[in-house]
Amino acid sequence: MQFHAFDSHYLERLRAGDFRTQEHFVAYFSELIRLKLGKRLHSRPEIEDARQETFARVLAALRKEDGVREPERLGAFVNSVCNNVLLEHYRSASQQTTSAEEEAGANIPDPGISVVDVIANQEMQRNVRHILDQLPEKDRRLIKEIFLEERDKDEVCKDLGVDREYLRVLLHRAKKSFKSLYLKKMEKTALQE
Amino acid sequence: MDHAEASRLMATEKYLLDELPSDVREQFEEHLFGCHDCAMDVRAGAVFLEQGKVALADSAAVTVPARTQATPGRFAWLRPAFAIPAFAVLLLVVAYQNLVTYPTLRNTVAQANAPQILPVASLVGAATRGTNVPELAVHPGESFLLPLDIPPQSAFASYRIEFHNPSDGVEWSLVVSAEAARNSLPIRAPGVAEGGQYQVVVIGLNPQGEKVSEVGRYPFELQFAKPANSQP
Repeated sequence: MQFHAFDSHYLERLRAGDFRTQEHFVAYFSELIRLKLGKRLHSRPEIEDARQETFARVLAALRKEDGVREPERLGAFVNSVCNNVLLEHYRSASQQTTSAEEEAGANIPDPGISVVDVIANQEMQRNVRHILDQLPEKDRRLIKEIFLEERDKDEVCKDLGVDREYLRVLLHRAKKSFKSLYLKKMEKTALQE
Repeated sequence: MDHAEASRLMATEKYLLDELPSDVREQFEEHLFGCHDCAMDVRAGAVFLEQGKVALADSAAVTVPARTQATPGRFAWLRPAFAIPAFAVLLLVVAYQNLVTYPTLRNTVAQANAPQILPVASLVGAATRGTNVPELAVHPGESFLLPLDIPPQSAFASYRIEFHNPSDGVEWSLVVSAEAARNSLPIRAPGVAEGGQYQVVVIGLNPQGEKVSEVGRYPFELQFAKPANSQP
């Protein structure tokens, strides 16, 4: 995905309901929102509902006359709307949606997986596999037991004779090796679209 | 939180590892949604972990059969390193069986199938406290016959016949019905390794197979016959 600066033109296109811009906007924030929600909600349907609700409210708010006018505040605005959705979710299991929000929700581009995504995913997976293969056995085991087997982090670190700082640095290095390819793929995907 | 502070804190890594306290996490998220660098950092990290899980799960699935192959299987012993000594041992066992075990067994079976005259110690009429204790000369391990008459009594449903050694320990026992006990019982006793005074003890049993009373004791002296070449 190519990064588009959240400037006034971007904001105008978003307010005007430009599909490409909305698609980019949703794709950009979807992963961040999912991560944020994933740390607070426990089921995929709950997370997906809250994500949809967040975008519905953000897009509805942008269309209002008194909506967001400072493009540099767009990210913070998305975050604050997501926080509100979460607060309401905590208060009530069943969310009430206004008809306007439902309408806006119906136009939210689907950030689902396309053929291009699948190809990009395969390449990323090969790259991740290569990075993991380069790691010493202990580091691979550390990642496997924590993220795949979801064992207690302290316990795994203790078993392998490392501390939490070691785990952070390991993740930092692996992520750094992967990030350049990830960014390239995002840009390539955006260009192909 | 600004970008410098997020970098200094390794906030991305801590965020992905769920290590941030909730207040710091809120601050980082506020920054994250507005900072392209941090957003890409978090997204790359999250994708790496997601894809990593798939790769590790795949490699685990591939490793299992590999381990299975490496584990000695049912036919692992057929490998030359094991098979040659194993077959050598088997050959020795087969040879020993053919040369020693089977001939001995064959002789034993042949002896058992051949007609024999067994030593006999007639217990018919032997007095429990009498002085005429029958004597029986046998070879060690040689079977012998013990014809026995049980005095007919209607009080018992069956009888247990016990064979007591010189220490009065029970070597073996068998149960006969009251009906069978009406006739003389020719008991073939297995050979023993020790001479001395043995006893056959007859015990009357009720229909539940419980002991009611002792019917009689039939002592006899078991002597080992001297070998023919031991004579001066």
